[in-house]
Amino acid sequence: MSKFTTGFQVRKSWDTAILALLAAVIIMASLTTENFLTSLNISYIFSNTSEITIIAFAMLFMIILGEIDLSVASILALGSSMLGWSYAKGAPIWLAIIICLVVGTVCGFINGFLVTKLGLGSLAVTIGTLALYRGIANGILGENTVNEFPEFWTSFGFDTFGTSFMPKTLPLIIFFGLVFGFLLHRTPFGRRTLAIGQSPEAAKFAGINVVKHKMIVFTFTGFMSGVAGVIYTFRFSTAQADNGVGIELLVISAILLGGVSIFGGIGTMWGVIAGVLLAGSVESWLTLQEINAQWRTIVTGILLLISVAAPVLVAKSKERREFKALKS
Amino acid sequence: MNFLRRLKPSSREGSLAIILLVAVGGTGLINPRFLTGDGTRDLLTSTSVVALLAIGIAPIVVMRHIDLSIASTVGLTAWLIADMSAKNPEFTWVQCFIVGPIIGMAVGVLNGLLVAGLRLPSLVVTLGTLYIVRGLVYVVSNSVDYNAQEMPPSLLDLGQKVFFGLLPFTFLLVIIAMLAVAFFMKYTKGGRDAYAIGSNPPAADLVGLKVFRRTFLAFVFSGFMAGLAGVFYLMRFAQVDSTAFYGQELAVVAAVVIGGVTIMGGSGTVVGAVIGALLVQTIQGGLAALGVDAFWKSAINGLLLIIAIYADRILAVRNEKQLLVQRIRERV
Repeated sequence: MSKFTTGFQVRKSWDTAILALLAAVIIMASLTTENFLTSLNISYIFSNTSEITIIAFAMLFMIILGEIDLSVASILALGSSMLGWSYAKGAPIWLAIIICLVVGTVCGFINGFLVTKLGLGSLAVTIGTLALYRGIANGILGENTVNEFPEFWTSFGFDTFGTSFMPKTLPLIIFFGLVFGFLLHRTPFGRRTLAIGQSPEAAKFAGINVVKHKMIVFTFTGFMSGVAGVIYTFRFSTAQADNGVGIELLVISAILLGGVSIFGGIGTMWGVIAGVLLAGSVESWLTLQEINAQWRTIVTGILLLISVAAPVLVAKSKERREFKALKS
Repeated sequence: MNFLRRLKPSSREGSLAIILLVAVGGTGLINPRFLTGDGTRDLLTSTSVVALLAIGIAPIVVMRHIDLSIASTVGLTAWLIADMSAKNPEFTWVQCFIVGPIIGMAVGVLNGLLVAGLRLPSLVVTLGTLYIVRGLVYVVSNSVDYNAQEMPPSLLDLGQKVFFGLLPFTFLLVIIAMLAVAFFMKYTKGGRDAYAIGSNPPAADLVGLKVFRRTFLAFVFSGFMAGLAGVFYLMRFAQVDSTAFYGQELAVVAAVVIGGVTIMGGSGTVVGAVIGALLVQTIQGGLAALGVDAFWKSAINGLLLIIAIYADRILAVRNEKQLLVQRIRERV
């Protein structure tokens, strides 16, 4: 039961390690560069990770369930393209935003339908919808871009409150973080998520409607990708078909860095937030060191490998130690 | 219905081949050029890179793993070979065919050690190496591009070579590789082990199969094929930059799955994978002939993949039912 009750408390071992690593990176970065801890740079870290964080909140549930959704970046792009397309066609901006959110939700629902009702594997299906949604975005916008948006909204995506470290999108992110953190750690829904991740069979026999539950998670992952699409569009003030290519991998690596098990059943909101901030801080550190943008692709890959290898290695060495203790 | 059932081929590959013939015929009706020697040659040439990669990852998918790093590996080998031959004028196609697979195998060894050695999920590991290898291409290339002038003429000539006006040299190699791997998968212990590992990994462990060695070698082989595909890429396009073949891993996975290699492991053949690659290419060509915009290409790929997975699922459920009925009858 301990896993269910720890809730917002920091889980031992991996969570502590990730927090320590985050602290170490921040200290190292602020010692080696001058501008790391300025409010401007902190606001950059927050706003550069905003879409990743938003999607990660939902994807956390997905990975705890033992499923995966690789199509989130394509949903972001499709939502963003529809937003730009409908705005360029003369729709009022509020309607365009709602269209983006609805498109995201529908895409998520389709993923969920294919996975739960038709019983297909989520990995294969979402590789398919990754190509499908991005392809539809391509088909709609082609090589066109839309980059004329009302100033109120581009300022929402890009500016900070005054000269503080808070981007205007941060309250929204915090709001969603609280909602999803509460949902995971303080509600029956969250407990069911963890239970299904531990053992789908057992959860089913315990009376949990696994199909419906997964359906809900897929749908709100789509919705959150739509929200990320809105933010992405206004942050760069462009709607185009190749918006956010590859973000799904950044989301997954941040979540795994946060100590969520890729095999399902284990994960906390704190860990994910720490994971996202760690990835964002490392990225910002590299930028300030004037290290080539090209190296960052490599660093992302290495971070992903570390995040998946480290827990396994830790568990293995623990096992070996226990085995030795038993022998002696 | 009865008549149709008699016509129905007994194997998955047979039905795929029929679908392929229908697709080729249909495209030929819209665009007669598709059925000429030129059309066939174009189809085979443009499929050969994806088909080669499909042969490479089919054994991995059979083992219930996946390798997403192949497209990055193609980019890396293609760029490095172009770079080497631009700097050494005495480079010929022979060196290219030696260096390419070696670079690919290096990536394969890394994947294999992480997946088979540490038993990490292959999806995440190869996503990681996808990034790392593509990042390496960005770093070493430093935005330098190479064109046909800098490449060994003997290699480009080989890429143009066609037998009987129909069969390109590249596709001949694809067929040879396909037959070799098909033979290995069907008639050798290693191949049968691959199917056993894919149908039930824990059982394969308990039975004492060499899971580590088989998985490791499968990843090295996939790297080898990706390196070779890098050489093919140069032969086909005669130019390379740091984004070469970016994001094409999904097209390969789509081809393999459409070809009947189940993503859940344990079934499917290399021949199916190659037919799948041809089918995807034909459908793309057919839609282009119909005047569908090239922008829809990726959407069509995705849709095909989903349909293939769904068809797989329906077949699996039906087989299960038939087996159950058979078993009940045997009891009675």
